[in-house]
Amino acid sequence: MSRLSIGLVHELITESLAAWHVAGIVEQTSDCAIVIGAKREIRIEPAQAGSMFRWTVTIDGRTRPAISLLAVLRQVRGALDPGYAVSRVRVAVSPVVPS
Amino acid sequence: MDTELIPVSVLTGFLGSGKTTILSHLLRQPEFSRTAVVINEFGEVALDHELIETSEDSVVALTTGCLCCKVRTDLTQTLQDLLRRRDEGACTQFNRIVIETSGLADPAPILHALMIDTALAGRLVLGNVVTTVDAVAGEVTLEREAISRKQVAVADRIVLSKLDVTSGVEASLRSRLTALNPRAPTLCATYGRIESDNLFGAAFHDPKTRVLEVSSSLAEAPEHTHSDHDAEIKSFTVVRVEPIQAVALTLFLETLAEHCGADLLRLKGIVNVAESPQQPAVVHGVQHVFHAPAWLSHWPSDDRTSRMVFITRSIPRQWVEVLLDAISAEVTDVAGNH
Repeated sequence: MSRLSIGLVHELITESLAAWHVAGIVEQTSDCAIVIGAKREIRIEPAQAGSMFRWTVTIDGRTRPAISLLAVLRQVRGALDPGYAVSRVRVAVSPVVPS
Repeated sequence: MDTELIPVSVLTGFLGSGKTTILSHLLRQPEFSRTAVVINEFGEVALDHELIETSEDSVVALTTGCLCCKVRTDLTQTLQDLLRRRDEGACTQFNRIVIETSGLADPAPILHALMIDTALAGRLVLGNVVTTVDAVAGEVTLEREAISRKQVAVADRIVLSKLDVTSGVEASLRSRLTALNPRAPTLCATYGRIESDNLFGAAFHDPKTRVLEVSSSLAEAPEHTHSDHDAEIKSFTVVRVEPIQAVALTLFLETLAEHCGADLLRLKGIVNVAESPQQPAVVHGVQHVFHAPAWLSHWPSDDRTSRMVFITRSIPRQWVEVLLDAISAEVTDVAGNH
């Protein structure tokens, strides 16, 4: 059973728009997609089973895959927030657990 | 009762500029073995005192607010309590006190309080004011945050920190520091390491001179209240009982850095990483820059919850909470599918 419910994604997108100060209405459809009604029309849905990607993001009719929620957020914000420029995190090389 | 005057040094610097790291390093030096530490944090949950590894029983955390504001009296009370415990032999016979201010504190009222409180005057003497400046984000911070300029302006020593994550110090940053405070020598710290003799070991300034300096500083900000800090600056703590997977933590930090940028003034946390249950990770982030997690050798207390303190400008807590939940859930799903 998936721990990541579409309801949680809906909440994440809603809160993200608020955090970015971007206007828009976020709705959950009956076929488990998230639709954002803003200056551009955006649809987020789980990728087909067997795909190497987890999500597809359709912006104004153009569909692109996204490998994670982080990638989804990047695409959505890039479409809605003209002032957004990805600022890559700077992390020194290190093991993710103690060596 | 020991009548020797005990120096009180103030370690200040903007959020995330490396104060706790430097203090942790200093307290491991033999000459600092008899040091009492007063730590002031601007946040719901005090973490700094847990991040400082010391065997001493003389570390005091003040969490009721920012030292320079409403709890100035708390500071003098705390110092009096420390002196009483020392006199009664209830704690180490410390010969030095270091006050680590919150990153948002104006040090001038603190110095003022230390000098004018008659109950303290006969026992304590003001030592050096050391101000840490982030060599990476320092210039932007000085530009944006008036309080950081004040912190530099009152310093006896300026410490450029985080030289381990930058190839050098911009000449423009050095110029800015010199313009703000031409008197204070600028020292450098790498991974928090610095020669302690250069920091607190110097002779103390003439108290009369210091009073004048503080008075001058106070004149620039006659009424200091919390509204002076920045109404949009908020502090909140994200707590998780369940361990967080290492990959989820990494993605979470990466997302914060990408989407918050300069509005993430500070993130400091202790995290129970699922893959490392006995050794918690300590995470630090300032604006776009996140340090690689540092691993403690053991939990500092029985509390095994992950606690991440955020100091932000206009970043909603709810977004941070749901972001961590969603990323954790996705990582769990991916792990389950493999």
